[in-house]
Amino acid sequence: MSNILEINHLTMKFGGLIAIDDVSFSVKKNTITSLIGPNGAGKTTVFNCITGFYKPTVGEILLNSNKKFNLERMNDFTIPQKAKVARTFQNIRLFPQMTVLENLVVAQHNKLMKASMYTLKGLINAKSFVKAENEAKELAKYWLDKINLTDRADIEAGNLPYGQQRKVEICRSMCTDPTLLCLDEPAAGLNATESLELNSLLEFIKNEHKISILLIEHDMSVVMGISDKVVVLDYGKKIAEGNPSEVKGNPEVIKAYLGEE
Amino acid sequence: MSSKENFSLIIKDLIFTGLIATVLLIPIVGFRTEISTVDSTGLIFNYNFITAFFVVAFIVGIRFLFHIFWFSKIQKKPQENSEKNKKKFLKKLNFYLGVAAAVIAFTLPFMPFANRYIVDVATLVLTYVMLGWGLNIVVGLAGLLDLGYVAFFAVGAYSYALLATTFDLSFWICLPLAGILAAFAGILLGFPVLRLRGDYLAIVTLGFGEIIRLILLNWYEFTGGPDGISRIPRPSFFGFPFARKSEDTTFHELFGLEYSTMHRIIFLYYLILILALITNFFTMKIRNLPVGRAWEALREDETACRAIGINPTNTKLTAFAIGAMFGGFAGSFFATRQGFISPESFTFIESAIILAIVVLGGMGSQIGVVIASILLIGSTELFRELEQFRMLAFGLAMIIIMILKPRGLLANREPSILLNKKNE
Repeated sequence: MSNILEINHLTMKFGGLIAIDDVSFSVKKNTITSLIGPNGAGKTTVFNCITGFYKPTVGEILLNSNKKFNLERMNDFTIPQKAKVARTFQNIRLFPQMTVLENLVVAQHNKLMKASMYTLKGLINAKSFVKAENEAKELAKYWLDKINLTDRADIEAGNLPYGQQRKVEICRSMCTDPTLLCLDEPAAGLNATESLELNSLLEFIKNEHKISILLIEHDMSVVMGISDKVVVLDYGKKIAEGNPSEVKGNPEVIKAYLGEE
Repeated sequence: MSSKENFSLIIKDLIFTGLIATVLLIPIVGFRTEISTVDSTGLIFNYNFITAFFVVAFIVGIRFLFHIFWFSKIQKKPQENSEKNKKKFLKKLNFYLGVAAAVIAFTLPFMPFANRYIVDVATLVLTYVMLGWGLNIVVGLAGLLDLGYVAFFAVGAYSYALLATTFDLSFWICLPLAGILAAFAGILLGFPVLRLRGDYLAIVTLGFGEIIRLILLNWYEFTGGPDGISRIPRPSFFGFPFARKSEDTTFHELFGLEYSTMHRIIFLYYLILILALITNFFTMKIRNLPVGRAWEALREDETACRAIGINPTNTKLTAFAIGAMFGGFAGSFFATRQGFISPESFTFIESAIILAIVVLGGMGSQIGVVIASILLIGSTELFRELEQFRMLAFGLAMIIIMILKPRGLLANREPSILLNKKNE
């Protein structure tokens, strides 16, 4: 199986602070890879480098879908647009005053802009645009059905309970038609039932849509339950890599989390 | 009781009210006996059905207002879904207010009480309504706080004035050109402020507005500086001028009317009404298109927009450009109406008033802008005698509204797309 994402010698410095220090790892196609580590280990910084929000100081981030992309050279908004990498945020970033459906439709912006010929066709209600918009609505409905939120599609996203907002955010990233999905602590703030539902949603995305997932998570029931591979960071350095059971027994990892005896 | 039943009951009641009023008012108001001036028989019998009709319409209108504001509160409402009901109510209110405003706007010049002063004030109010709607795209939809909107108004006005006086182009050619030039100015402003948000953006746009005004004031050879531009051609009725005598066929000759200065005033009134309505319909339409949705998303969360692949640069620039374009249209209307423009008409206070209209009306609310313009512009006209206390009253009114209705008079966001149409 080939790698969809390869990170080579990634280093990110903020002034004198080295947030990530020479980290290399890869994500295999159609797998779930978890990135774990204590607070401040640099996990979100890695995410921000992959999705273009930070420009790495050193290093290479390669994405191999049907084409090859050097993500470190791309803009934050061209990465989801062209390289098809979608992400969610640690603190939920939905559009709170827009409805749930609008949140999912606006994620299909680039597709719809083309269909509306950059607004011209939309202004005259051209058939092809109406069709494209209905398709966008169908796709949104498909994902809402998956998370049992179809009947709440027309209420403001900000009024949803926390757990549902998390799921809507994942669905919104899925509506951008990604090849790699980066989730920043999707289980944070969820209760045990919701975590289980999240696990099955992620399994579904992986198995049915053949999408690779890169995951930051503190909730070990999620990490150990669904990950194919775990990468552990501590103080910006990679300290372990392997399948969940290997990592669990690694003395370096135990030291990072629990301290030395 | 469902709202549909409720609605049909109201309609029935209104028709009934109208019938009673008609029966009563036709004899009371509709028939009049007057002392004859023609012969010496004494009294003659006159009909005055138009006034009777307006009185009936007025009574029905009052009854209708009673229905929405008073009777509906008397009826017991189910406690649950009060949020939903409130939204539904606001939606209905918006709709009826919109229809009422449109009817009043279209019939105003032919009302019995309409004189030159009233039509002039209404034209001014409509100019601000149009500016408010234009700015609503930038501030209400895209969430870009623009304190220099008057700059685009000025660009439009000067574009029209210069094009018309220098190249002798007609109003209908200059109007789109002025819009394009103003949109260009919008993009020009957009580029340097792309990375700014909130307060910082407001300061830079404020500066931009002043820069435009100072250029107009100091570039004497081009703009006439503080002297302004005078003798700007007045608009013609698609080539037929409003004049007592002309080489071409004039407007009153075309329609076989008596010459009256009111013709031009009324024409200008309808011109700005149409322009404003175009702005309104364009905004309503574009809100439901991908670009409009992207504007709103950008207002909500720019970082999330980047994460789903929306190009913030293009999105912001289109918002600036389209908002500015409507400002430019309004500007060229202003120039042709006044016949004379100078930089004094484009000071910061104008930007502030337009922004106040948008904020008071409720960000993104179209009908709110209309009400706020009538309140702000109409009331300043009304209190013209108070002179220096006018601004005091203006400020006080704004503070009171902001305390009572912090989100604006009619803040209600309609979803741009619905999944479950039936149980909305």
